[in-house]
Amino acid sequence: MMRHTAAMAGVTMVLMTAPLRAQTDYYNTDTGRPMLIEDAYALEKRGFELQVAPMRLTRSAGGVYTWGIEPELAFGIARRTQFEIGLPIAYVDQRGGAGGTGITGVEMSLLHNLNVETSIPAFAIAGDLLLPVGRFAPSETYASVKGIMTRTFSKLRMHVNAQYTFGDSLAATALAPVGGPSQNVEVSRWIAGLAIDKPLPLRSLLLSAEVYARQSLRSGEALEWNTGVGVRYQIAPRWVMDGGLGRALTPTDHAWFLTGGGAYAFGLPWRKR
Amino acid sequence: MHPVMLRRVGAVLFTTAALVLPAQAQWATTYESFYLQAPHNWTFRSNYQNADRLFNAFDYGHAILYETLFTKPDAPASLLEETIYDRLTTQILVRPPKVPLEEVAIEPLYARLAPEAKAMFDWSHVLHRQIYDVLADERIADAAKDAEVQRLLDFYRTRPDLAFSSKPKSMALMQEQPYSLAFRQKYPKFNGLIWGYHWFQVGLYEPLLVGKTVAERQAGVRATVARFWQMLREPPASLPYQMPMTAVISPAFARRYPEAAIIFDNLHSMHDVVSDILANPAVPRNRKRAEIMRAARLFRDDTSYVMPVAAWLVMSKEMGVENMGGPAVGFTPALPTPTVTRGAVMQHDDATGRMTGMKVGEMVGGSHANMDHGTPPDTTKATATGHAGHMMPAAADSAKPHAGGAADPMHAVHHPEVAVTAKRVLDLQRALLRDPEIRRRIVADTVLRQLMLESFEGLSASERAELQRLLAVPSRSARRSR
Repeated sequence: MMRHTAAMAGVTMVLMTAPLRAQTDYYNTDTGRPMLIEDAYALEKRGFELQVAPMRLTRSAGGVYTWGIEPELAFGIARRTQFEIGLPIAYVDQRGGAGGTGITGVEMSLLHNLNVETSIPAFAIAGDLLLPVGRFAPSETYASVKGIMTRTFSKLRMHVNAQYTFGDSLAATALAPVGGPSQNVEVSRWIAGLAIDKPLPLRSLLLSAEVYARQSLRSGEALEWNTGVGVRYQIAPRWVMDGGLGRALTPTDHAWFLTGGGAYAFGLPWRKR
Repeated sequence: MHPVMLRRVGAVLFTTAALVLPAQAQWATTYESFYLQAPHNWTFRSNYQNADRLFNAFDYGHAILYETLFTKPDAPASLLEETIYDRLTTQILVRPPKVPLEEVAIEPLYARLAPEAKAMFDWSHVLHRQIYDVLADERIADAAKDAEVQRLLDFYRTRPDLAFSSKPKSMALMQEQPYSLAFRQKYPKFNGLIWGYHWFQVGLYEPLLVGKTVAERQAGVRATVARFWQMLREPPASLPYQMPMTAVISPAFARRYPEAAIIFDNLHSMHDVVSDILANPAVPRNRKRAEIMRAARLFRDDTSYVMPVAAWLVMSKEMGVENMGGPAVGFTPALPTPTVTRGAVMQHDDATGRMTGMKVGEMVGGSHANMDHGTPPDTTKATATGHAGHMMPAAADSAKPHAGGAADPMHAVHHPEVAVTAKRVLDLQRALLRDPEIRRRIVADTVLRQLMLESFEGLSASERAELQRLLAVPSRSARRSR
C-alpha cells in the first residue's frame, strides 16, 4: 500500500517537475527556473548550461511533501536552438508513512526560437519528451508541444506560453493525490499562462510573476489556476541563481511549492579548421 | 491575360508586397553565440578587478544612451548632459556593477529597433574582453599570446554577420554622412564621456603589453585607470575632443595586433554612427532602423570606405593624440591640450591618410593655429578635386609615421606645450648669448661652449645660424663657403 502510494506520488513528482530551459544569464527565463512560464529565447549557440542542483519542495493536497532534484544539461546545438536532457529524482515523504527515492523519468526537450524581437514579438516553438525510465517514471512516453511568445516593453517583459500534451489520460486515484500548484507540464493536457518580468539591470536581478491555467491529464480533475513569483540573480559571469514560490488558486487545497537552484555556463572548445 | 485582370493581379501583388515587405524587414533572426571557451576566460576580471568593473559601468552608459536617444527624442539636452551624465559619473562609475550587464535589460526598446546592430556590439565587446583576458593571463607565454589573440580573431570571424571589418574605414563613414555630428553637437559632454570610455577600452591594452613584469602591468593598469578618472574632472574640457584611435592611444598594441586595433576603431566609429542616427531628428523614426542596418553593413564589409593600413596610421596620428585624451601609457601628469575645437571634423586623403582640411571646427593652440588648411572648407569641392584646398605642408613620405621628436614639425603641431617650451628655451639662449659677459665666459669654457652648441640641436636652420653667429661659431654653410 505504502509502496504504491510512494510510487504514484513519484509519478506525480515527475509529472509536476517542469523541463528546464537553460540560459546563461539572469535575464532569460527558463521553465521551472523558477517559473513555469518562460521566454522565447534559446541558449547561445555552442553554450552549455549545467543545472547543478535545482531543488523543489512541493506540498500537495493531503499533506504529501515531495522533494525533487533535477540535474540537467542544456546545449545550444544550433543557432537559436537548444537541446536539453534532464534526470529528475524524487524523494516522497508521506506524513506518517515511509518515504521513497527514485528516478522519475528522463526528460528531453528541443526549443527553437523563430525570431528576435523587433516591432514583431519573439516567437519560439518547443517539443518535450518524458520517457518512462526509473522507479517513479510514468508507464508510457508523453510528448508535448509548446508555443511561446515574448514581448518587451520599456520597463517589463511579458511572456505567453501555451502547451498541449499528447497521450492517454491517466486514471485518477486516491493513492496519488495530485494537486496543488502543479508546476506540471507533462501531466497536463494543456497549459496556458502569462508571466511578467521586471529586470533590475544594475543589480543583474530579475523579478517575475506568473499566472496560468492547467487542465490535468488525469480524467475527472477540474481546471486549476495557479500563480507564482520568482527571482533570478547573476552572481558571476558564469553563475545564475534562482528561487521561487507558488501556490494553487483553485482548487483551494493550500498546495504550494518552493524552488531554488543554480546554473553554471560554459562553452564548447573551438579550434580553427 | 485580360488587361483588367492583369491590373487586378498586379494590384493584389503590390498590396501583398506592401504588407509583407515591412514585416520581412522587421523579421530578425540574429542569434547569440557563446564566447570562446578557454582557460583564460575571465582572467582580467580576476587580476584587474577595478578596471574590469569599469567596463560593466560602460555597458550601462552605452545602453542608457541609446535607450534615451530613441525613447525620448524630444527631451531637453540636459537629460543626458546633466541628469544621466551625473548619475553615470558620480554613482555608476564610482560603484560599478560586479558582473557584465545584460544591456538588453537597459535598452529594451533600442534592442527591439536594431537587434542585429546590438548583436554586433555584443560580439565585439566579447572580443575586447577576451583579448584583455589573454594579455592579463600570466600563465600564457608572451609568444603564445600572439597565437591566442589570433585564435580569438579567427573565432570572431566565425560570425561574419556580426564581425566588424578588419580593414580600416575612412572617418568619412563616421562623420560625413547626412546624419553625422548630431550627437556630438547636441550632447558634447556625453559624447566626450563616450570617447573617454573608448579611450579606456583601447588604452588598457597598452600597459598590459608594455609592462615587462606583473608589477609593471599592474602599475600600468592602475595608472591608466587613474588617467581615465582624470578625464572626468573638468568635463567637457578634460574629455577627448576626437574619437580615440587605437593606433595612437595604444601604439604598441596596434603594432602587434593591427587587425584587432582596426576592428575596435570600426566598432567605436559605429557606436558614434548609431548615436548620430538616433539623435538626428532629420532621420525619421521609421527610417532609423534602416539607416542603422545600412551603417552596420558598411562597417562589416571589406570594401566600403576602406583605406590602406598605412593611411589609417597616418590619419590616426594627424588627428592628434592630444585631441583624443593622450596616450594610455607614458603620459605627462597634466592632460594634453587639444589642438582642435571639440568635435572638430578633419578630412583626410583616403589613400594616404594625410589631413586635407577641416570640415567642421578649427585648429587652436600651438603651431596648429598658424597652419593653413585651406579655409573656408568646401568639402564638395575638395572631394571633387582631390582636396584642392589642402595647403598642409607636404611630407616627404606621407605613409611614414612621424619620428615623434621635438624637431618633428608634426610633433610640435600635436604637442603645443612642446612648442611653447622650445620657444622659451630659444629666447633664453638668445638672452644668454646677447649678454657680452656671459657670451665671453661660455666661449672661454670649452665644456660650456660644447653644451651650448649641443643645445642648438632640434632648432630650425635659421635659428641655429642665428645662435651660432651670436656665439661666433661659423655655420656649416659659412664654413663650406670658405
